[in-house]
Amino acid sequence: MSAPPILSLRDVRYRYPGATQDALAGVSLGVGAGEFHAVLGPNGSGKTTLVRLALGALSPLDGQADIDGRSAAGWDRQALARVVGVVPQREDNLFPQRVRETVLLGRYPHLSLWGKERPEDHAAVERALVACDATQLADRWVWTLSGGEYQRVRVARALAQEPRLLVLDEPGVSLDLRHEMALFELVRSFVERAGLGVLMITHQLNLAARYADTVLLLSDGRPAAAGPPGDVLTRETVERVFAWPVTMQSLDGRPQMVPLRQPKEPLA
Amino acid sequence: MALAHLTRRRSPISISPGMGIFIMRRLLLVVLLGFGCRPSARQASRPAERVVSLLPSFTELVFAIGAGDRLVGRTAWCDYPPAARAVPSVGDGMPPNVEAVAARHPDLVVLYNSGPNVTAAKQLERLGIRTVLLDLNRLEDLGPAARMLGRLTGRVAAAESLVAAMDSLAARPPPPAITSIVVVVWDNPPIVIGRGSYLHQLATLAGARNVFDDIAVPSAQVSLETIAARNPVWVAVLADSARSGPPAFAARREWRTVRAVREGRFLLLPGSLFGRPGPRSAEAVRELRARLEATR
Amino acid sequence: MRWVVLCTVAVLALVASVVLGPAAVPLSELFRSDIVWNLRAPRAVLAFLVGGSLGVAGAGLQALVRNPLADPFLLGLSGGAGLGAVVALALHLAGPWMLPLAAFAGALAALGLVYRMGLVGGAALDPRILLLGGVAVGAFAAAITTAIVSLADAAELRNAFLWLWGGLSAASWDSVLLLALYAPVPLAVLLAAARPLDLLALGEEPARYLGADVEAVKRRVYLAASLLTAAAVAVSGVIGFVGLVVPHIARLAWGHRHRSLLPAAFIGGGALLAIADTLARTVVAPRELPVGVVTALIGVPVFAVLLRRWTIA
Repeated sequence: MSAPPILSLRDVRYRYPGATQDALAGVSLGVGAGEFHAVLGPNGSGKTTLVRLALGALSPLDGQADIDGRSAAGWDRQALARVVGVVPQREDNLFPQRVRETVLLGRYPHLSLWGKERPEDHAAVERALVACDATQLADRWVWTLSGGEYQRVRVARALAQEPRLLVLDEPGVSLDLRHEMALFELVRSFVERAGLGVLMITHQLNLAARYADTVLLLSDGRPAAAGPPGDVLTRETVERVFAWPVTMQSLDGRPQMVPLRQPKEPLA
Repeated sequence: MALAHLTRRRSPISISPGMGIFIMRRLLLVVLLGFGCRPSARQASRPAERVVSLLPSFTELVFAIGAGDRLVGRTAWCDYPPAARAVPSVGDGMPPNVEAVAARHPDLVVLYNSGPNVTAAKQLERLGIRTVLLDLNRLEDLGPAARMLGRLTGRVAAAESLVAAMDSLAARPPPPAITSIVVVVWDNPPIVIGRGSYLHQLATLAGARNVFDDIAVPSAQVSLETIAARNPVWVAVLADSARSGPPAFAARREWRTVRAVREGRFLLLPGSLFGRPGPRSAEAVRELRARLEATR
Repeated sequence: MRWVVLCTVAVLALVASVVLGPAAVPLSELFRSDIVWNLRAPRAVLAFLVGGSLGVAGAGLQALVRNPLADPFLLGLSGGAGLGAVVALALHLAGPWMLPLAAFAGALAALGLVYRMGLVGGAALDPRILLLGGVAVGAFAAAITTAIVSLADAAELRNAFLWLWGGLSAASWDSVLLLALYAPVPLAVLLAAARPLDLLALGEEPARYLGADVEAVKRRVYLAASLLTAAAVAVSGVIGFVGLVVPHIARLAWGHRHRSLLPAAFIGGGALLAIADTLARTVVAPRELPVGVVTALIGVPVFAVLLRRWTIA
C-alpha cells in the first residue's frame, strides 16, 4: 500500500452557512486502489458532508480535500467523473427509462460534446452490467425494478464510468437481507478482483467490520476512531459514540456488535 | 323604473330606412307605454334642461338641433362644434365616470348603447337621473337618434329637418364606384372595415368600392395577402390631426406587397370628421369624394 | 423511420403554407407571384422558425424545472412583452419596428427579474423559484398592462392586445433574416446541453457526480430557452401550447434522450405552427383567426389524449 491515495482528506473542517457548529472538523481519510474504506456514525454525524467535501461539491474551510493529489474542488467535473464513480443516497428519475439507457448515462464523462456513443461505450456498459449481475435486467424499464435490482443498476452505472474509486453513500438502506449482503459481496469483489478503491458510508457496523479494510467512526462531525475494524470497533468506543450499551463478539476475526436490551423503567 | 332603453341591440346587419321607420314606431310605442306605466310623479315628458352627452356624435347632434345651450357636460373627446369645448368635460367616457356626470346635476344623460354603458346608465338611474341609450353604428341610426334627442329636449321641429337630411343621406343610392379602397384600422394584425361599418357606407357614398364588402361585420382581421390580392387603389386610415405623413406600417416590407402602399396612395381621414357618424357625415362624404376625384 | 415521417410532414406543411391561402394564386403562377414570394414564403419560414424555437425551448425548460407542465410562457416573458408593447404605444413611440423591439425589451426585463429571483446563494439557480417567479412576474406585468390600457387612450392600446394574442402577419424576409441570425446561438446552446439534461433528470446531485457542471447547465438552458421565447414573442406575440405539447408528442416517438428529442421538438414545433398558420389563414377566409387560437384548438385535445395515456400507464 505504498501507492498514493486516490482520495484523501487531511484535517478538513466544514460548517454549513448559517449553522451554529461545524458539520465536520479535524477529519482525515485516505483511500487508495484496492482498499475498502467504511465510514460509520450515528445520524447527523457528518457522513454525507464528508462525501461532498471529498468530491469537491463543497470546499473545506480548513484542511485539504484531494483527488489524485489535486484539490477536489478544482477538478474539471468530467475528468473527476472518470476517476471516481459515485452512487448517491437519493436519485429521482423523472423520466421512464430502460436499464441499459440509464447505465449508459454513466459513459457521459467519456463522451465528447457532439460525438455519438461509440462501440467501446456500449462495451463498457455490458461489462458493468455483467459485473453487477444485472445483464438479465438490461431491457427492463427502470420503474419495474425492485429496490435491490435498482440499486445494482445504479452501481452498474457508476462502474460504467470506469472509475478507479467507487463511493457509495448508504447503499444498503431499504434493501432486504439478501440484497444487502449481495451488494456488499459485489463491492468487495470489485476491490479484490478489479483493484478498485471503495469508500462506503453505511449504518451497518457489522457488515462494515467484515468487509472493510479500514473504518472511520464519526461522532458529531469529529473522528471518534480510525483504523482496522478490530481497533476501532471496541465496546467502549461504540457505546460512547452510539450512546447505547452493546457487547462485542468475534466472527472470522472481525468484531461484531450486539446491542443489549435496556428496558424502560416503569414510572414510579 | 324601466329606463328608456329605446333601441334595438347592436346588429351587424344593415337596416333599410323603411325598416328604420317601422322600428321607430315600435320604439315610440314602447316609450309611451313605458312612460304610461310609471307610477311616480316625476314628469318624464318635460323637456330636458341640463343634458350630459357621453359621445361626440351626440354632442354634435345636440348642437345641431339647437339645444347646445342645454349641454352641461361632455366627454373629453367632444371637440366639435368649437362651442362644445366651453362645456365642462366629465372624463373620457370609457367607461363613464358616474360621479363626475352626477356632479353636473343633469336631468338627462345620453349614452352610446354598449355593455359598460348599460351598467353606468343603471347606476345613474339609481341616482334618479334619466338616461337614454342610443345606438349609433351606421348612418341610418342618425335620424332616429336626432329625432329622439329632439323629443327629449323639446326641439322637435328643429330636429325634424336634421332628421330629414340624415335619413336622406342614409337612403341615398350610392353612385357608381370610381375607385376601390381598403380602410385599415390596425396593421398588426391587419384589421379592415367590412360592410357592417358606417365607414363602409361613407366610402360607398363617395364612390369608392370597399374591397372587403364581402365581410358582413363592421371590422375583421384579414390576411395581408388578401389585401394584396384584392389590390385596392387606395388605403384609407383614420388619423388624428397631430400626425401627418404616411402611417408607420407603410415602411414595413410585408405591407409593401400591397401596391397602394408601395405607391403611397394613402387617404388620411381626420378622426374628428370621419371617425364618428354625426351631422357632418354628409360633409365627410363630400370631402372624401373630392379627394378621390382630385387625384384620379 | 420516424425521422423520415417527421421530415416529410414538415416539408408538406411548408409546401402547403406556400401553396394554400385566402388569395387565389393559380399553381402556374406560383413562382412568379409577389404574394407567394414576399408574403407566404417568409411567413411559412417564420412560422417554422418560431414554432421550432418554442418546441425546443419548451423541451429544455421541462427538463430544467423537472415539470412536464412547463411552457415557455410560464416564465413571465409574455407578460413582460405585452407590457413593453403597451408602454411603447402609450408613449406614442413611432417606427415600424417599434412594437417588436419594445416587446423584446419588455421580455428581457422580465427575464432579468425572474433570473434574479431564482438565484439562491451566489450563482446557483433554483428551478422551482424560476417557475414560481415567472408566474408572479407575468401576473404583475399583466396587471400593470391592464392598468395602462384602462387609463390611457383606449382604442390603440386595445389593439395591442390583439397583437399579443399571437400572429404571423408581420412576417417578411426582414424578420426571417433577423430570427435566422439570432436563433442559432441559443439553439446551439440548448443542443449542447442535451446530454447534461438527460443527467439532470436523475437529480442535481447524481448529475453532478456523473460529470455535469450542473450550475452552468441550468444557467445556460434557462437563458437560452428564455432568449428564444423572447424573440418568438417579439416577432409573433404569444402563441401558446406549442412549447407545452410538442415536446410531449415528440417524447412518444423519441423517448427522453434529449439528443434526439430536441431536434425532433424543433422540427415538430415548426411543422405544427406552419400548419396552424395555414389553417388560421384559410379556414374563415377572407377573415383570419389569431394563430394562438388555432394552436390551442389543436393543442388542447392532443394534451387531453396525452393525459389519459399517463393516467392509464
